[in-house]
Amino acid sequence: MLFTGVMFSQTVSGTVTGEEGPLPGVNVIVKGTSNGASTDFDGNYTLDNVGSEAVLEFSSLGYTTQEIAVGSQTTINVYLEADAEALDEVVVIGYGTTTVRDATGSVAAVTSDDFNTGAIASAEQLIQGKVAGVQTVQSSGAPGAGIAIRIRGTNSIRSNNDPLYVVDGVPLSGAAPPEGVDVGFGSSTSSNPLSFLNPNDIESISVLKDASATAIYGSRGANGVVMITTKSGKGRQGGQFEFNTGLSYSTPANEYNLLGPEAFLDAVEQFGGSRTEQDFGNATDWQDVVTRSSFSHDTSLSYNYNYSTGSIRGTFGYQDLQGVIENSSLQRVSGRINWFQRLFDDRMNLSVQSTLSNVNEEQPPLSGSAGFQGDLLGAAYSANPTWSSDPDEVVGGQINPANMLKYTQSLTNTERVLINFSADYAFVRTDTDKLVGKLTLGYDQSNSLRESATSRASQNLGRGTQGNGLGAIQDNEFTSKLMELTLTWDKDWDNSTLNLLGGYSYQDFANKGYNAQGWGYNTDSMDQMANDLGSTVRSIEALLRGTGSYQQFGYSEPGGTSFVNRLFPDPSSEPLAGFADTNVRSMWSDYYDNTDELQSFFARGNYTLRNKYLFTATVRADGSSRFGSDNQYGIFPSAAFAWKINEESFIGDNVSTLKARLSWGITGNQEGLGYGNFIRRERYAGPGIQDNGNVDTPGIGPVAFANPDLQWEETSAYGFGVDFGLAADRLTATFDVYYSETTNLLLRVEAAQPSPQPFFFQNLDALVINQGVEFTVNYDFLINNSDWDWDASFNISYNENEIRDFAGQIPAGTIRGQGLSQAYAQILAQDQPLFSYFLREFEGFDENGQPIGDNQTFVGESALPTTNYGFNTNVRYKNWDLNMFFTGQSGFSVYNNTANAFFTAGSIANARNVTPDVLTSGEAGNAEAAVSTRFLEDGTFFRFQNFTLGYNFNLSDNSGLDKVRLTLTGQNIFLITDYSGLDPEISTNPAGGDLLNNLPTAGIDYTSYPRPRVFTLGVNLVF
Amino acid sequence: MFKNQLKRIGSLALLSAVLLVSCTDLEIKETDSIFSESGDGFNGVADPEGALQALNNNMRGHLEGQENLFALAEVSTDETFVPTRGTDWGDNGIWRVLHQHTWSPSHQYVLNAWNQWNQNIFNASEIIDPRSNSSAEVVAEAKFLRAFSMFWIMDLYGQVPFREPDEGPEIEPRVLTRVEAYDFILQDLDDAIAGLPAGGANNNDLNRFATKASARFLKARVLLNSGVYSGAGAPDNAALDEVIALVDAIAADGYALQEGYFEIFMDSPDSETIWWVSAGVGNRMWNGLHYNQTHPDNEGGGWNGFSTLAEFYDLFEGPPNSNYAGDGQEERRGFVVDPSNAAPDNYGFGYGMQIGQMYNGAGEPLTDRAANPLVFTRELPGLVGNNERTGIRTLKYSPRNGAFTGHQIIFRYADAHLMKAEAYLWKGQDGTALDMVNELRAIRDAEPLGSISTEIMLDERARELYHEFVRRTDMIRFGLFTRDWEFKEPGSVGDVNKNLFPIPSNALLSNSNLVQNPGY
Repeated sequence: MLFTGVMFSQTVSGTVTGEEGPLPGVNVIVKGTSNGASTDFDGNYTLDNVGSEAVLEFSSLGYTTQEIAVGSQTTINVYLEADAEALDEVVVIGYGTTTVRDATGSVAAVTSDDFNTGAIASAEQLIQGKVAGVQTVQSSGAPGAGIAIRIRGTNSIRSNNDPLYVVDGVPLSGAAPPEGVDVGFGSSTSSNPLSFLNPNDIESISVLKDASATAIYGSRGANGVVMITTKSGKGRQGGQFEFNTGLSYSTPANEYNLLGPEAFLDAVEQFGGSRTEQDFGNATDWQDVVTRSSFSHDTSLSYNYNYSTGSIRGTFGYQDLQGVIENSSLQRVSGRINWFQRLFDDRMNLSVQSTLSNVNEEQPPLSGSAGFQGDLLGAAYSANPTWSSDPDEVVGGQINPANMLKYTQSLTNTERVLINFSADYAFVRTDTDKLVGKLTLGYDQSNSLRESATSRASQNLGRGTQGNGLGAIQDNEFTSKLMELTLTWDKDWDNSTLNLLGGYSYQDFANKGYNAQGWGYNTDSMDQMANDLGSTVRSIEALLRGTGSYQQFGYSEPGGTSFVNRLFPDPSSEPLAGFADTNVRSMWSDYYDNTDELQSFFARGNYTLRNKYLFTATVRADGSSRFGSDNQYGIFPSAAFAWKINEESFIGDNVSTLKARLSWGITGNQEGLGYGNFIRRERYAGPGIQDNGNVDTPGIGPVAFANPDLQWEETSAYGFGVDFGLAADRLTATFDVYYSETTNLLLRVEAAQPSPQPFFFQNLDALVINQGVEFTVNYDFLINNSDWDWDASFNISYNENEIRDFAGQIPAGTIRGQGLSQAYAQILAQDQPLFSYFLREFEGFDENGQPIGDNQTFVGESALPTTNYGFNTNVRYKNWDLNMFFTGQSGFSVYNNTANAFFTAGSIANARNVTPDVLTSGEAGNAEAAVSTRFLEDGTFFRFQNFTLGYNFNLSDNSGLDKVRLTLTGQNIFLITDYSGLDPEISTNPAGGDLLNNLPTAGIDYTSYPRPRVFTLGVNLVF
Repeated sequence: MFKNQLKRIGSLALLSAVLLVSCTDLEIKETDSIFSESGDGFNGVADPEGALQALNNNMRGHLEGQENLFALAEVSTDETFVPTRGTDWGDNGIWRVLHQHTWSPSHQYVLNAWNQWNQNIFNASEIIDPRSNSSAEVVAEAKFLRAFSMFWIMDLYGQVPFREPDEGPEIEPRVLTRVEAYDFILQDLDDAIAGLPAGGANNNDLNRFATKASARFLKARVLLNSGVYSGAGAPDNAALDEVIALVDAIAADGYALQEGYFEIFMDSPDSETIWWVSAGVGNRMWNGLHYNQTHPDNEGGGWNGFSTLAEFYDLFEGPPNSNYAGDGQEERRGFVVDPSNAAPDNYGFGYGMQIGQMYNGAGEPLTDRAANPLVFTRELPGLVGNNERTGIRTLKYSPRNGAFTGHQIIFRYADAHLMKAEAYLWKGQDGTALDMVNELRAIRDAEPLGSISTEIMLDERARELYHEFVRRTDMIRFGLFTRDWEFKEPGSVGDVNKNLFPIPSNALLSNSNLVQNPGY
């Protein structure tokens, strides 16, 4: 070691405290070096090799940084002042971070302290209701159900309205497990694409709401951006374990009040049926048969290790969620390793974030497109309560729910790997000048296998299934690769700063796999069916190996036909020679493999003048392979200005924050537009199995009506906001107004016939307008009190949506059920909001019990809530803390498709069970239950969504434990609503192919999976 | 020094990574579909035979369902209607307006049929296009299928949009008038007759696809209706002579009337079937049958909807309220299975008109779901407010031959025979016409008729050809589609505008060359 001058090294230690006692996680570094540490849970730190001339810097989020010269001291205890500017909270934005105080755009951040807790299956649930202007709709109570997030309204008609998710800087590709195919009782949507992330691993979630914040993501930013940051290993120096476990108990929060056996038989008689014929002598509560109370658990163990030049964090998690409907569950095993390394005097930072997860899901036989017999829940609501609950005792042509449970199965396994590597290097690093280059590589691969089967022993489940069995396999491999390069330059002048960012991004999305279907099995067992179909597919694949590529193959017992259809080098069709399988009498398998690419160039400039005037401008040019060569690129600019008025001398000291923000930007959308719609492509049509097991050899034809003029859907958005803080930000408030216009709407519209397909993609010359206001307020009731803390926050947002300049009227909102084929409840038309109800005005029943009113019209109601609000409060008394969260929505209507399909006099007249109100409604047993306002209900609700009661134990120094915390969490505690169904916060969606005119649905409640009420006992240990 | 090296290496790594990926051209690859060589334009179909297979498969689907074409061609007539039974078959009124003749341009089946059959026309045009290099036989079959598809658009809507294969979505297709479409169809059929293989009776493999016989059959049908299409009313003599010659040519291929009416609709070969498709006949059967009428392959039973009017049922010989075997009815009215002939292998299913008490295969009387005796009635309270038992059901295909057989007849010689007879009738040769009708009736074990008229001819076609997609076309040809029938909306009676369906409102929006039909 070389010594220049007189120097000596020593070890320095001490304790860092704050207002509330010891402060853990404070960064302590020797200024100008990489030598540093973090305080442990008791606020203690130790640093070796500290020179006498060294200056120690103590910093922690939310506290004023302190610098202390070491001199000869070996013990340095520090008291950190809380930073009055609590708004200096760091928020992650696109390609960087900022603080709430310095943000020019509308950005909201929620950190892990404020997350919802309990049985959380997916990341979006963490922030449900927490952010103004973000509507989170959990459409189903199923474990792993998809959650729709709408940021500042619904911009697009058809395209995906979900925001872009960016996990640790990597934009996710939107890969989702496969949708449920129809194996006898209708299709269903796919489950949640974010279910691969362990919510315990998430450190913070930022929501970028306005175009100035999202335009840096250009074509993917139109629906807002949700930035998810996972936990890193930063913490005290050395290693630390954290162990979390929770045990949850779930019960269905609500159920229908159906007729019991005696009341049912009375009702059958009342409507002219025969009591004796319908009395099967049992007393079965069918809702009890298909639902259950269930225990779930969630455990994770993580280890942090923080050393002088880096940190590492590893997590292992296991979650087992059991749904409140039989045969529904989700098990997730996940592992995560986050590693940071500083090199070359901190000039270089390397980071790796990797997740590996394996999710098993079990889906019950529920469907958004079930026909007259219903799905499992529909069957349970209508089943005769005097039937036996023995699955093999089936009466007549109706579905016995127990039979359906026993003889259907749908299992999905999804493995996902997400690895993100980044390296940045400071080419220039002075006090006023910093130039950093960064390379990010991302790799995201997801393999999903969904196996569905309806056994031949099932009864009344679809045509041709009984006695034969019907099964399906969907095998999908989705791979996305990302490469991004950015260069940032920070320059400080005396009274201004400049931050410039330039970058390039490339991402591809490769999607391949196969769909297979089988019919005619020689086993009752669904596991065996899945094996038989899978092994048949693999045997034929083996047989065809080396014969060249193929798109599909299949065979059928009736007619004894078989085929192998090949596309390359030239299309050809030949019989499948030399294959005989008696385990699956008819089957087909159809393969796909395609890749889309996105390439982008982007730049952003932030200029701050006198720490008062903030300017931001961004531009992104996005090129997509989904468009023809003339329209591949779209340019998405944005600009924003913020004025920190509180920095002006004319503002008094009492106003700690006053900032005005103005923003404008254009963002794009290409989601929902599939692969290769701009070009004429041919492919063999998808095969199918007919009711008698026959499989016709598919022919080849155009996939779509090519539209070379397709281009980006564009949203122009304008926003104005004010951030306000009083008394050192004891009271803070944020107010925003916005207006956005979406044009060039990508919509699958009807082609002018004759055309190769009935629909084609077009940029529609119409407008979707969203405008609204958002307001958030936080207040600290008690500060400077060591025993008590109390704060509360409230957010509310109002959004109006309307379509303009649209000449057509497109029916949407499919209604399903008995006598409801071809029925719909909504129409897409100009001067109406999206999802506007178009219904008969129901005016009661006439003297014959027939409904009055047969004129379908717009009824002035929409399924989109205008108002969303949330109220959150935290109370702490000594070691106890309590968090409560309430949320509500209003200004929308829900169509009770469940009641329309099942709870009518026509049902009880056919000896199908109903709710008691049906018997006295005045409706005749032979009346038609047409789609009408009779089943349209106000969806307004107020929900006690969540509470957490926690206790932190006092620990002695020699316990070996740093933290012991117990929590009791309740979710969905109560619901106040006039809605007569189970829950108004729903939207039942069939799979894409079953949507009327390809339009999504909202606000339609058709036998939705009931939301559970959940209580969770949790333990958090740090040691 | 060492640091500088590393710095340089780092910079190089960054730079090379940039160069490595550099900029992509964003072109998608031909990995699971074949791209047209000219990009977005049309360069011929990739595989004409495969494309023809796809067209045949699509058309099978379009002929199979109870909706769309079947609904427009049959449910709009007195032969088939769908009463709403409590909540069942309300379906937003979509069936009722067809029977009442109060449909609108936004009717979903009016739209679907338009889309489906126009799409068939376009797919056929792509195969026919010289750039596809299709073989002569493929072209001939595609022309037949295009003619069949265009026939439906012309017949239902009175005008036919036409798009060339290389016209993209930015082009609004030109529109053929009914007369132009008529000429177009005849030209296609002449080309098809020249290029298709000869037909042959008693051959399921041959008659599954187009032959000279099926093309001749369609041409005869188009010619017989030529007066409707031209607006002249009755067909002219030249057309009628050609109808006769075409039917004779069909007969020359061996097609002939065959005894055993309901056996023709089984999937075994017969001398009458000229063209059949592998469309399942499940809809034709289960649509009318009750939930409790079941088959081992369909334990859920029927779907309890479709019925026929009593006035249609009364066209057949036999007692009005009973149709059990031996009741003295004519063969084509079929019979209801009762304990005397119920058997495990017929599952209780008879043929033809189903009225009165229904039984299962064990001869036990069936009940409805509320446990009332399952007695199908002649009378109905109306189009709504029905219980599960009202209305007579029709079984041209029967579940006793399989629950979901895939064999549906589209063209059949008895129809050709009656077309020829009708041609003689229009020509004024009533005696020949009457003889031919009685020739058929003799084979069907029906009493000979003493006289003939257009109305009697229409009734005979009804008795022979119910559920075979011809009732609407026939009624219009004889000017009786606008007549009053039970539950028809009084305001629609006599409204000749109803002889054409409206152009769907979505189609009007998408193509400004289309003009809405009068009255809509």
